[in-house]
Amino acid sequence: MTSLKRAIVDTSTDSGLANKVFLRSSRGKCVKVVREIYLRQDIPCSSHLCVPCTADAVPDANGRVKPFILSATPPKTSAYPNGHYLVPDTNIFLYCMDVMEHKSAFHDVVVLQTVLDELRNRSLPLYNRLRGLTNSEDKRFYVFHNDFRKETYVKRYPGESINDRNDRAIRAACRWYTSHLQEAVAGSKTKVPMIVMLSDDKANLNLARNDGIECTNIRDYVKGFDNADELLDMISASLEDQEARAGRGDMLYPEYYSMSKMQTGIRSGTMHQGTFNVSPYNFLEGTIHVPAFDRPLIVLGRENINRAVTGDLVVVELLPKDQWKQPSSKIVEEEALGKNDNAETEGPEVIETEQERRALIDEAKRSQQGSAEGRPQPTAKVVGIIKRNWRYYVGHIDPSSVAKSKGRGQQTVFLLPMDKRIPKIRIRTRQASEITGKRIVVSIDTWDRTSRYPVGHYVRSLGELETKGAETEALLLEYDVQYRPFPKAVLDCLPREGHDWVVPPMDDPRWKGRVDYRDKLICSIDPPGCQDIDDALHATLLPNGNYEVGVHIADVTHFVKPNTPMDDEATARGTTVYLVDKRIDMLPMLLGTDLCSLKPYVERFAFSTIWEITPDADIISVKFNKSAIKSREAFSYEQAQLRIDDKSQQDELTQGMRILLQLSKKLKQKRMDAGALNLASPEVRIEADSETSDPIDVKTKQLLETNSLVEEFMLLANISVATKIYDAFPQTAMLRRHGAPPATNFEDLQKQLQVRKGLSLRVDSSKALADSLDECVDSKEPFFNTLVRILATRCMLSAEYFCSGTQAYPEFRHYGLASEIYTHFTSPIRRYADVVAHRQLAAAIDYEPLHPMFHSKSKLEAICKNINVRHRNAQFAGRASVEYYVGQALKARGMAQEEAFVMKVFSNGIVVFVPRFGIEGVVKVGEMMGVQNGEKAELDEEKFVLSVGERRLGLFEKVKVEVKDELEEASGKRKIAIKLLD
Amino acid sequence: MPKELDPSTNEKNFILESLYAGERLDGRELDAFRPLELEFGEEYGLADVRLGKTRVIARVSAQVVQPFSDRPFDGIFTITTELGPMASPGFEVGRQTEAEVLLARLIEKSIRRSTALDTESLCIVAGQKCWQVRADVHFLNHDGNMVDAACIAVVAALQHFRRPDVSIEGETVTVHSMTERVPVPLSILHVPICEGDGGDEANVVTLIDATLQEEQLRDGDMTVTMNKHGEVCQISKAGGVPLDPIAMHRDMNLAFVKVKEITAFIAKRLKEDEEKRVKRDNLLESKAENER
Amino acid sequence: MPREELLSPEGLRLDGRRWNNLRTLKLSLRTHPTSSGSALLTSGHTSILCLIHGPSEPSLRSKQQHDRCTITVDLTYAPFSGTDRKRRNRTDKRISELRSVIQRTFSRAVMTHLHPRSEITITLLVLSQDGGVLAGCINAATLALIDAGVPMWGYVAAVTVGWVPGQGGEGEEEGTPVLDVNNAEEGELGVLTLATMGDKGRVILGMLESRVRLEAVEGLMAVAVDSAGKVKDMMDEEVRRHGEAIARAAGVGS
Repeated sequence: MTSLKRAIVDTSTDSGLANKVFLRSSRGKCVKVVREIYLRQDIPCSSHLCVPCTADAVPDANGRVKPFILSATPPKTSAYPNGHYLVPDTNIFLYCMDVMEHKSAFHDVVVLQTVLDELRNRSLPLYNRLRGLTNSEDKRFYVFHNDFRKETYVKRYPGESINDRNDRAIRAACRWYTSHLQEAVAGSKTKVPMIVMLSDDKANLNLARNDGIECTNIRDYVKGFDNADELLDMISASLEDQEARAGRGDMLYPEYYSMSKMQTGIRSGTMHQGTFNVSPYNFLEGTIHVPAFDRPLIVLGRENINRAVTGDLVVVELLPKDQWKQPSSKIVEEEALGKNDNAETEGPEVIETEQERRALIDEAKRSQQGSAEGRPQPTAKVVGIIKRNWRYYVGHIDPSSVAKSKGRGQQTVFLLPMDKRIPKIRIRTRQASEITGKRIVVSIDTWDRTSRYPVGHYVRSLGELETKGAETEALLLEYDVQYRPFPKAVLDCLPREGHDWVVPPMDDPRWKGRVDYRDKLICSIDPPGCQDIDDALHATLLPNGNYEVGVHIADVTHFVKPNTPMDDEATARGTTVYLVDKRIDMLPMLLGTDLCSLKPYVERFAFSTIWEITPDADIISVKFNKSAIKSREAFSYEQAQLRIDDKSQQDELTQGMRILLQLSKKLKQKRMDAGALNLASPEVRIEADSETSDPIDVKTKQLLETNSLVEEFMLLANISVATKIYDAFPQTAMLRRHGAPPATNFEDLQKQLQVRKGLSLRVDSSKALADSLDECVDSKEPFFNTLVRILATRCMLSAEYFCSGTQAYPEFRHYGLASEIYTHFTSPIRRYADVVAHRQLAAAIDYEPLHPMFHSKSKLEAICKNINVRHRNAQFAGRASVEYYVGQALKARGMAQEEAFVMKVFSNGIVVFVPRFGIEGVVKVGEMMGVQNGEKAELDEEKFVLSVGERRLGLFEKVKVEVKDELEEASGKRKIAIKLLD
Repeated sequence: MPKELDPSTNEKNFILESLYAGERLDGRELDAFRPLELEFGEEYGLADVRLGKTRVIARVSAQVVQPFSDRPFDGIFTITTELGPMASPGFEVGRQTEAEVLLARLIEKSIRRSTALDTESLCIVAGQKCWQVRADVHFLNHDGNMVDAACIAVVAALQHFRRPDVSIEGETVTVHSMTERVPVPLSILHVPICEGDGGDEANVVTLIDATLQEEQLRDGDMTVTMNKHGEVCQISKAGGVPLDPIAMHRDMNLAFVKVKEITAFIAKRLKEDEEKRVKRDNLLESKAENER
Repeated sequence: MPREELLSPEGLRLDGRRWNNLRTLKLSLRTHPTSSGSALLTSGHTSILCLIHGPSEPSLRSKQQHDRCTITVDLTYAPFSGTDRKRRNRTDKRISELRSVIQRTFSRAVMTHLHPRSEITITLLVLSQDGGVLAGCINAATLALIDAGVPMWGYVAAVTVGWVPGQGGEGEEEGTPVLDVNNAEEGELGVLTLATMGDKGRVILGMLESRVRLEAVEGLMAVAVDSAGKVKDMMDEEVRRHGEAIARAAGVGS
């Protein structure tokens, strides 16, 4: 027995024994709890003044004795010249926690067990904060277990409310402390510190006074301090909360209307149906586009949002005009507001917490003061949900909602979704401690009227927060990118030969209808390291002085036949997704990077478009053929550029590329003349360490002439194909359009430019817009033009795929490209729309009949709808990936001081754009350098200027910012933090 | 009830004498396992374990059911054990003997109660639909130490198993067939491995992985379940030779070494099986996520 | 579920005990004189009655063993023993496991060779359960067997010890053992039930059902073995007191 640790076992039965029986109702069920209580006398008072207690102190299992906490010389105030120990009531911690945490006040506090238990039941995050305080050495907070000490235990009288009992217990503990300390120092000259009960409950204070206990309310108490004003400010705010707590019902949210009522409403025009979108800056504000209004309808506040989650198809009803609001000018984040909410639902909840309500009231006040300019907009409330758009959500557990001591027991915790627009989700789990600090996936199950937050369940964990694997998977899930491996059924559709597949000899039936272009000098130009080469080009001079130009596209449809599992899979995936370091393929690798890819030096099947073009870039004729080609070389943009620029290269291939370049310049000019827009979206490239592939730097992408060379011919091919398939299938051609944005979309930007820079933006046609954008320059600031272009891009609609039968011909127009008709044909390896276009074109040239599926308008519409979504998600995912890597690069670099431009002004912050990293971010008033805490910020909405103290921050202004990667203490989440300098 | 015959007095004396001399009948060291074999079936979730002559097969399957009303956020995991006459004539069909109950409870405690399988991730729609994962354990041949063999089989089968993928869109749930979507593995939180120690008469000898004969002759046994993270999932020792706590603790440390070995062995076999499948089904091509 | 700390940072448990406090343990012998031996044990809110019958002729021929007596254990939970009235099925796997564990323990602890071809029946009735049922059953059975005058190799004394894992965070506390767990603790902690036989602290029974770190097991066992010794002393005291009372009643002894 020698090597085992010896333990002292105390079998002495302790003094008293009381039994407790109570009933607790949870979810309408009664649970009986019977519990023993052992009353003891060895719980110390923990005051350094008390000798007997020091002698009695009991060591814990590891033989350590807790040091005594309460100082022998507690702080003195005017009211308590001998010093005092504070004994606060529960309501003090509930509403004034901030002030309790203040460094300069509130020392030597006795936290009673009664108070601590009550606090834990009311708010776990507050409880955790209080426990944090008891661990802090200089605050000297001591937890006294009065309910286990024989002298201070208080039995609940029959008929007495639990609150009254608790109040009585607090008073009993105060009395005991007073007499105990007096006994302890009896005989010595030490002055006994006063025991002061702190409460805001008037009844409790009165009873205490009658009992002769020293007591005070928090306002009076604080007045004794030097910095009373500051403390009082903190208190008054919190107490207002308390007073405002009233009128709770069991049902937090209004009931949804019945389906028939909604249908009648929609038909009669009193209700509207649309997709609900939440503002990324303010989670309490949503918008809905409905056909009946030009501008989106606004939905403000939790009650009006009524359990709708962004993306849901909802029915709304307009509010009376006097309740109309204008869109928020404030940044409101849920994490900041709801941090003290309790995950467990025991008590009734309030639908809007006080902080949230205050945020809304500010809004309301502002909109009423607002002049005619800032007119309120139609505001609505959600009355029903047609279809939920719930999916799997990725996020992390709010650590403050986790009860740490809980072992394997089940508990309710909050999940903070990555997407700021999604509300917190309540989850019941038995493994809270294990999944805290991980990226996890959850799914929402229900959202009842009685619950402030939706209820969901844990699905799985992706791994530790911050790790590359977990974060990448998280963003793929968040944007619904289907990254799982291709199933067996799909693999069975691949050609049997695998990587050994070659172009068959000419007598093979697969050559039927195919043209042999293997002698043409074809090459491909792509970004460096590109493996899935969709397109290749060639050009030669014809004897008649014109040029023959060919665009050859990978013949994906030769391998992917309609209505096979592989085709279904590709339809569902819709597009290949490019992340910074990864590519999520639409088609299996065998096809994407080998058999279809127009790799150099090998023969491949292709779909070719051949034009005869005059030297002035006018098109004489066009023909389409299935073909076989052999690419002579695969260039990167840079290599191609060098080759063209190198005068010593006079071989035919290079000559061909020079022809292409000349022609492309002319084509581009023509397009610009027709009013094509040159829009900007920030694009950056991540420089990675070649060995570890950790990101180390961020560079903006450089554009070369060869980029536009390829682009022009791809546009040309797409337009030619679009015309051809529309001719052949007027009802069912797969086309792409870009609607002209309504003029109202530009209103804000026009006004902002007018006010801030005296510039005017003409938006009546794309040509006018293109021209006026060119004029938007600031001679001192070259980037200003790009900024305006970025902002203008955001005012536009997004381009979309559609089926020709669903729109009238004028609607086909591609606004941005200024083309009457357009489709996607040139990237069938990575876009499904192109696959459809290929099949339609093949049918149009009588190569093979079109599968009946693509004759069906409804089927095509469904395809278009899906690929539009996938396309958008792919873009978002790509951007999110860049953002993550920018963050990682910043982490590697520490912090950076950069120039930034103000993009948006709110009443409590600004949004800036950092061109160097291509990121934008929110800077709240509190995060600006040289701004005193609590200094009021004022927004001049006419001039788009936010004034903070001395500082004036105007829209479009250049500012200096500090960008760094920061760990948020509370949530354990890393994010890019932007701070304003000077 | 047909009863297993006890070894004869001669046999008994011989075995015990040799054990006291530090020898085992099959030539093993006292703290050595018999050769362990693990094979996987064609389908996912079938594991065949041989420990010397003891042979156990575990089959894992999954179906969609309604969760228990008191645990709406959890899936269901059940283990059923079947000891039939096939394993040994001493077992009868359809009647649970005490030994059988103890065995079933041991496996259950080792794997289910220690939450080796993350049942929360089996939830599809809370309170309505969840996966029920079922592990059927069949004992094919009984030559001692069935607990260990069964535990290894179940744990290996669980890790080998793939369940069909599920997707949620709005409020509708789709279960995809195995060919339509690549099935997903279960979320295994830790891998518990049982260790049976037999303490022999007069508290002289402690041996690991007892054969049937040794089991019949031993005077008390102890089973410890641990995972490779050094967590003890279960200890059970009831009756038998009273042991010195220090010796017990030493045995547990010894068991921990064995647990790490066996866990590594299972992982190795799983990997081999995976590689075999990749080759057979041309799965290399199935990767949708590729380096740029 | 109320969120409560099983062990507060101040070192107090839910019911006000410290880590090394047993609950109030009340032992009484010969509570039911009609049986061969009986004992009633209450430990906090756990209350168990044990009756012994035998040694007697086995009820079934198959139970007869030529060189020793057979120990039969009958374990029943009273339907009112929990907070909710609930009838437990006798074929419940958990109960039959407990039964067999107790049976194995006493088959070893009793000098069975002194009563060949006979049977001793231990009947256990759990009247009220608040954690530590197995330990309670073992202790009650030991006392009842002594009362019945069945020869044993030594006292079998059992205790439960739970392991409260360290809270992590500051300095990674090692965790604390807590002695004699109640229901609330048993539900959430890894609990070791351990019984020793005789004076030397040899372990005759050890059951652990939840995950606990290997290093913690050492601490758990040390505490358990020590406190089992203390429990043994308490049982011994009670047995002696009981014996003296009988002697006094019979007019013998001091």
